[in-house]
Parts: sequence; structure tokens; C-alpha cells
Amino acid sequence: MKWRRIWALVKKDLMEFTKSKYVLSAIIGIPLLFAVLIPVTTLLPIAKINPAEFEGDDTFPSFINNLFASSVDDWASLNMQAQTLIMMAYLMFVMVLMLPIIIPAVTASETIVGEKERKTMEAILASPITETEIVFAKIISSLIPSFFATFIAATGFTIITDILVYPFIGQILFPDFLSLIFVLVFGPMISIISVELMIMISTKVKSVRDSYQIGSLVVLPLIFLILAGMLSFFFNSIATLIGGVAVMVVIIVILFKLATNIFNREKAIIKMT
Amino acid sequence: MLAVETRNLTKDYDIKKEGKRAHLRAVDGLDLAIEKSEIYSLLGPNGSGKTTTSRLLAGILRPSVGGARILGLDVVDDASQVRSIVGLLTETPALYERLTVRQNLTFIANLYDVPKEEIKPRIEELIDLFDLPEKIDLPAGSLSKGMRQKVAIARSMIHDPPVIFLDEPTASLAPESAKVVRDQILKLSKLEKRTFFLCTHNLFEAERLSTRVGIINHGKLISEGTPNQLRDLKKDETTTVFKFAVWNDVIKNFFQERNYDVLDINPERKSISIFIKEIEKETPTIIDELIKQNLPMFEVRHEYPTLERVYLELVMSENLPRNQEEEES
Ligand SMILES: Nc1ncnc2c1ncn2[C@@H]1O[C@H](COP(=O)(O)OP(=O)(O)O)[C@@H](O)[C@H]1O
Ligand SMILES: [Mg+2]
Repeated sequence: MKWRRIWALVKKDLMEFTKSKYVLSAIIGIPLLFAVLIPVTTLLPIAKINPAEFEGDDTFPSFINNLFASSVDDWASLNMQAQTLIMMAYLMFVMVLMLPIIIPAVTASETIVGEKERKTMEAILASPITETEIVFAKIISSLIPSFFATFIAATGFTIITDILVYPFIGQILFPDFLSLIFVLVFGPMISIISVELMIMISTKVKSVRDSYQIGSLVVLPLIFLILAGMLSFFFNSIATLIGGVAVMVVIIVILFKLATNIFNREKAIIKMT
Repeated sequence: MLAVETRNLTKDYDIKKEGKRAHLRAVDGLDLAIEKSEIYSLLGPNGSGKTTTSRLLAGILRPSVGGARILGLDVVDDASQVRSIVGLLTETPALYERLTVRQNLTFIANLYDVPKEEIKPRIEELIDLFDLPEKIDLPAGSLSKGMRQKVAIARSMIHDPPVIFLDEPTASLAPESAKVVRDQILKLSKLEKRTFFLCTHNLFEAERLSTRVGIINHGKLISEGTPNQLRDLKKDETTTVFKFAVWNDVIKNFFQERNYDVLDINPERKSISIFIKEIEKETPTIIDELIKQNLPMFEVRHEYPTLERVYLELVMSENLPRNQEEEES
């Protein structure tokens, strides 16, 4: 692999993204929406409820108590309203983690199917760049905006959530070990999987619109993957964490091989015309 | 060593025909031998296989049957090397519209591993060559269609390739831009010994520019030669035009009485065109007689068949059944 060619393609894609109003609004607008809208519509109403309504002897089922007791200090001593807020905050954090799925679907469609649709791909295919280099470069250029967007969204979400939750628990909730693992490890890996799937889809479709549509079918299974990962982390053992990461690495490698096998010059050209 | 050499070069596309899988033979057994520094034009109607041929030769499509070599390199086995020594102007000269002309060219230069320090001077040289210096830092999308085409031609030469494929290079150009492009092609082939392979249906251009022309129809090469050789195929269809200072019926009668094969009488232009079988022998005789009769003739000229005429006749006389689609067995 020649890094110079890969980097040239990545740089070109990123330059195009920064000049596309559509892509820019997706990678800045959607994260801000997630960061602000989600806590404001879910956590704020709970925080506003009169504490009297939470009084009584009700408790959460014991498995939930056990789950949170292991990741939140003094869980048992918190009142019901604080516990509900924390639970909701974690659940909504999962929503933020949809970004690493959604953003690559947008960026990968734009850069791969977009290049086919606008026929700029042919000049790339005519050059000595290899298929693997193209796939690799497209993965990187689709990922960078997604990392960026996830980071904005997670930071915004963290700040707003902490402001809302702090009065109830007397400490900040995020970032904690779990959320950091999610944003820094799980998020990027999910993004890579999403991009690789999008690249495979892109070899089959001719228009960016089709790519979005089929892409949205890929998004659903990935959300289940995240939820499954999230749940396994709630059991919070280092072994499941490492196991989860290992499984994802294997998936990433297999999908990369598949994507580079599927993507070839001839098909890219024939499907273009 | 030949610049371009093909043996039985053939390409089938998989298509769906009435729900069934079938082949479409886009290029059919092409045998070409093009010398270095030639300007070879592949001439053919739409859908005759020109674009497919240039893609095969540029190493981005694989032949279904047969093969090709560019400067001795095999388009399949040495595909990567082939790509680095050929330039390709694609049929659709798509540029990144949001990027500037310079950014477009720099990007492609990097893909071809043009040495870093050579990129800037190379771009400026090409931009000068194609007469675009004031556009270099404008977004490609703001350029006219013709200017974009010229940028795309410059792009195809960014890595200084010895063999250049241009798919309809002047199709969207205004006459003055087309001339700039033609002049550069001629210059680059003469002075720098570059080989050009043009796909075109512009007969005028092929005639002006090419060292040789190949006529392709339904994927098959139906004729090949220098523009003169091709015109000579219809040499026996040369017409002879006589023009007079004043027109009168005596002139008309002169030709009709002698049973010449009159093709056209044009009293307004005071001219008459006839068909003579042996022009070298008969023309002087006719001139002598016209002078003897005191007819005020002041011009005689032969109209040789144009390449266009030869081309149209060749392509239209091809009433071959369209056997290019075969069921998959
Ligand atoms: N990607 C493709 N898939 C199927 N058929 C194609 C494809 N590209 C071209 N063809 C067919 O191949 C034939 C030759 O096309 P092309 O090489 O584009 O001709 P030209 O450039 O001379 O117009 C045409 O019949 C065209 O419809
Ligand atoms: Mg064509």
C-alpha cells in the first residue's frame, strides 16, 4: 500500500466534505441536535417532576440495582428520582452512539456512490491506485467526520447531562469509564463496521439516494449490536469488555477483506454507466 | 515496439435481456497495431464500442477474449504499470466541482506518484498549454463546459504519459477551443513523440489530425488506413465540376448531347457537376472541346470523396444482422 495515494484520496474527500453544505450540516447539525435535544427532552422533564411523586417504598428490580451499584458510587443511598435520572442518562447515551452508525452512512455514500454518480470515480480507477488502497482511503475519509461528530455529540451530551444530574447526585456522572470506552473504543469500531458495510452496498447501487435507503436497512442490525454490547458492559467485567472488543476486531477484519474483494475496478466502471 | 497492439481484443458485457442473462459483445475481435507518435483515431457511431476499447486499453476493463499491450506491457498482467504510463480522458470529463482546478489536478498528480516538487510547475505548464491560467484557482464547477473539458484533458496528461487515450476530446468544445486542443495534440505528438488514441465521431477532426483512422461498427473494425487511403476507397466516385462566367442552355446541351453522367446542374452558380470514369484521361478532352466551342468556362475542379462520405457509406452499408447479443449457454 502506498500511503501517499491513500492520503491524497482522503485529503481530497475531506476537502469536498468541508465544502458540501449537506455533509457539513449532517456532521455538525445532527450531533448538536443529539447532544442538546436528547437530554432536554428526556432528562429535563424527569428533573422537573415534583420529588414528592417519587416518594414511597418502590424500588427498581434487584438486577437493575446490582447493575448500577457496580458503576455508580453510593447508588443505594440515592433517591428514586436520582436513580431514574441516572438510568435514563445511560439509556440516552446509547442514542448518542447511533451517530457512529449514521454519520458514516452519509459520508461513505457521498464519497463512494457520489463519485460513481458524478463519474469522477473513473479518473481514480484509471490511475495506478490499487483497489485495496481505494477501499482503505474511503474507510478513513468516511470515519474522520464520524469521530468528529461523535466527539461533539458526546461532549455536548455529557455537559448538559451533568448540569441536569449534578443537583441530584452531588457528583458528575459522565465521563466515566463506561462512557469513555464507548466513545473512544466502541464508537470508532462501530463506525468502521458501518463504513465497511456501506462500501459493500455501494458496489451494488448507482445513486446516492439508493445508497441511503439500503444503508438505513444496515443501520438497524448495527443498533442491535450496540445494544447487545451496552448490555454486556453493564455486567461490567473486564473479560466481557475484552471479548466484545475482540469480536468486533474480527468482524472489522473480515468485512475489510470482503469489501476489498467485492470492490473492483471493472464492476465499479460497469455499474457506473 | 508498438505503442498499442491488440490481438482479437473482445469485450462482452453481462446484460439482462427479457429477464434472462445474456452477453452483449461491445468490442469484437479488434486487431490494432499503432506505432509510437502516431495519432490514431477510432471513428464510429454511438454504441460502436469506442469507449469500451479505450477503457480496455487503459487497463480499467479486462478483455473477455484476446488481449492488448501498451508499449509492450500487457493490459491484464501488467495492469498497474499500464495505468501509470497511459493517460485517459474519460468520456464524461467529470471534475470535483467544489474543488479548484489546481486542487483537482494536484489530487490526480498524487495518485500517479508525480514527484512532489514537479507537481506545481507541471500544472502551470499544462494550464498554459490549454490556455486557462486565470481559472486555476477557481472552483471547477464555475467553469464553462468547454473549459472543464480542457482541464480534464490537462488532467489526463498530468503524469507525462507517453500514450494518451482521449475519448471524444473536442465533443463539447467551441471551435476555437477545439483548435487549441488539436494544435496541442499535434505538437505533443510531433515534438515529444507521444502517441494519441482518439475516439471520435468528428470526421473533420479525424481527417485533419490523424496519421491513421480505424472505422469501428458494432465492435468490429471495418476499415483502417490513413485518411488518404480511406478516401481512395471511393476514388472512383470523384465528381468533376465545371464553372462558367455566364450561364446558358448551350452549356447544358453540350454535356447532355455527349451523354455525360450529369449529377447536378446549378444555373445560379453557373456550374455543372458530372461523373467521369477516367478523370485523368477525359478531363483534358472536355476542356479542349469547351474551349473550341467558345464556352466561357473559368474553373474546373475535382471533388474527391470526403472521409465523411466514405465513413457514412461504410457504416450504412453494414447491413449485417445485429448478431451481437447471444444467449448465455
Ligand atoms: N456498462 C455497460 N453495461 C452493459 N452494456 C454496456 C456498458 N457500457 C457500454 N455498453 C454497451 O456496449 C456497446 C458499446 O458501448 P460504448 O463502448 O460506450 O460505445 P461508444 O463509445 O462507441 O459509443 C453499446 O451497445 C453499449 O450499450
Ligand atoms: Mg463513447
